[in-house]
Amino acid sequence: MEPGDIVTVSVDRVILLDIAGQHPELIQNPPARVFDPSKISVVFDHFVPAPNVEMANGTAKIRKLVKRLNLNDFYDYGSGGIAHAFAAESGWFYPGQIVANTDSHSVAAGAFNMLSRGLGTPELMQVMCTGKTWFAVGETLKVDLSGKLSGMSEAKDVFLKMAGDLGDMPNMNIEFAGDGVMALNMDQRTVISTMCAELSVEFAVFPGDEVLRSYVQERGVQEYSPVSPDPSASYAGAYQLDMSEVVPMAALPDSVAGNTRPVDDIQGIKVDQCTIGSCANGKLSDLEVAARILKGRKVHPGTRLIVTPATQSIYLRGMELGYIPTIVKAGAIVTNPTCGSCMGGHMGLLADGETAITSTTRNFKGRMGSRDARIYMASSATVAASAVAGEIVSPSSIPGGS
Amino acid sequence: MDDKISGRVWGFGDDINTDLMYPHICYTLPEIDRPKYTMWANRPGWASQVNRGDIIVAGRNFGVGSSRPAAANLVGLGIVLVMAETVNGLFMRNAVNSGLPVLRMDGITQWIAEGDIIQVDFQNCTVTREQDGSVREFNRIPDLLMNIVRSGGIIEVLRSQGYIDSEPL
Repeated sequence: MEPGDIVTVSVDRVILLDIAGQHPELIQNPPARVFDPSKISVVFDHFVPAPNVEMANGTAKIRKLVKRLNLNDFYDYGSGGIAHAFAAESGWFYPGQIVANTDSHSVAAGAFNMLSRGLGTPELMQVMCTGKTWFAVGETLKVDLSGKLSGMSEAKDVFLKMAGDLGDMPNMNIEFAGDGVMALNMDQRTVISTMCAELSVEFAVFPGDEVLRSYVQERGVQEYSPVSPDPSASYAGAYQLDMSEVVPMAALPDSVAGNTRPVDDIQGIKVDQCTIGSCANGKLSDLEVAARILKGRKVHPGTRLIVTPATQSIYLRGMELGYIPTIVKAGAIVTNPTCGSCMGGHMGLLADGETAITSTTRNFKGRMGSRDARIYMASSATVAASAVAGEIVSPSSIPGGS
Repeated sequence: MDDKISGRVWGFGDDINTDLMYPHICYTLPEIDRPKYTMWANRPGWASQVNRGDIIVAGRNFGVGSSRPAAANLVGLGIVLVMAETVNGLFMRNAVNSGLPVLRMDGITQWIAEGDIIQVDFQNCTVTREQDGSVREFNRIPDLLMNIVRSGGIIEVLRSQGYIDSEPL
C-alpha cells in the first residue's frame, strides 16, 4: 500500500454518543438494523446531564434508538463518562483493535497500540449498519521520545512542545518510539495521543510494551497481538524530543498547532476562568496535581476554577483519595463527568471579553462560549497554579506544588 | 452532482476550524437555522452573503477540529465545493458524507482569489480560472468517495442499500 490508497477494514467495536441525538440526519433516518448489536456501545458524555430541553430531547431519541435496536451495552447518566477515558478504563482499548467513534479525539486510542479515528455521525451510522469503515493510508512521522519529565512538566507540555515545533500535519500519522515512551504511564500516553487530533493527524500510535500490557491485563484483557512497524518501514521524517528538557507550555488563543510558547513567556496575563477536565486531562492524575497545588490555598478572588473529572470512576476515586474535597475547599467547582465546557456545551461557558486558561482539548475562537473570549491551553498543573495566582503562572512558581 | 461546475469563489486563510463553521449554538437550533451561524466568530455576516453554487478556496489545514457537521452547514448555505492547500481528514470525510466534494491543491491560494469565477471538471480533473483561461489539474478523487458525493451523501447510500428505517426517532 502507498500513501493515498484507501483500505476498507472491519471494526471490533462501535461507540455511539449522546451528541448523535443532535444530528437530524440520524433522527430522521435511523438505522433499521445493525451488523452486530453486541459490538455497539452507547456512551453518554457530551451533554451530561442535559443542559437544556433541546439536548434533553435529542438524548431521549438516542435512548429510543437503544431500545429499538437492542443496544444493551449502554451507559446512561451516572454509569460511564467521557467515552475515550471510559473505554480505556473498561478494557475496550488494547493492541490490534479497531474502534469506530464519532468524536474527533478518538485518536486517543492510539496510546493502546490500536486504531481509532473521528467519524461524523452519518458515517458512524454506516459503520453501525455494515461493521466496516475505510482509512486513507498516509505518510508517517516517527516521534522519538527520550528522557523523563522533570519538575512540574506534564504530558500536556510534551504535546504542546511537539505541537509548537511540528505544526499541523493533515493526512499524516505519528508513530511514537524511543526509550522515553517506557517512562510514560497510560494516562500520560493518552494525553499525548488524544491531543494529536489538534495536529490534524489521522492516527498517533504508541508501541505495545510492558506498561501497556500490565494496564490492559489489570482490566481483564489477556490475549492480543501487539502491532509493530516493519523493519523496512519508511518514514516521512523523524522528530526527536528529550522530555527532561520540556518546560511548562501553553497554546495561545485560537489555534494549537504551531501556536505554543513556554508558560514563562506569557506569565502575568489575568484570567477570568480556569478549567481542568476533558477526555485528555480529566484523569485521576489531573485531580491529584490540582489537589497538590490547591492544598491549603484558595482560588484567587479575581478568577474561578471549574474541575470536570473524565469518568464516574475517576470522580469516585478522586473523592476517596481526598483530591476532590481539597479542590472544593480551595473554592473550586467540581462538576460531574462530561465533555461540558470543553466544547461549549455547558458547565461554565465564557462571557464576552473574558480570558480563560484551560487544560481541555481546544482553544478555538468561540469554542468554550463567547466568540469574544480568549482561551489559553496548558497542563492541569499550570491551570491550577494560575487559579491560585489569578493570572497565568508556571506551576513551579507555587511553593510545594512539586 | 454535475461533472462540471462553475462558481464564484470566497477566499479564506489557514486553519479554518470546525468550530468556526459550526459554532456550538448550532446544536440547540432547528436544522434550518444552523447554517446562518457559519463563520460567525471569524467573519460575521458572511453566511448571509453566500449564494447557492458558491465555492470556498482556503489555505492550510482547512477543517481542523471536531466531528461536528461543519460541512453540512456549508451545504446548507449552498456551497458546492471546497478547495484548500491542505484539508483535515475528518472534515474531508464529513464533507463527502454530506455530498460536498473537497479538493486539495498546492498553491491554490496563490492562484485563485476571492471573487474569481472558476470552472471545475471532475471527469478531466481540471480547474479553470475564467478571467484568463488558465488551467490546473488536480488528483482524481477516489471512486469510493466520489460515488458517495454523487449519491448525495452517505445517508442516501445507506437508504439505497435498505439500511434506513422509514420511521424517524
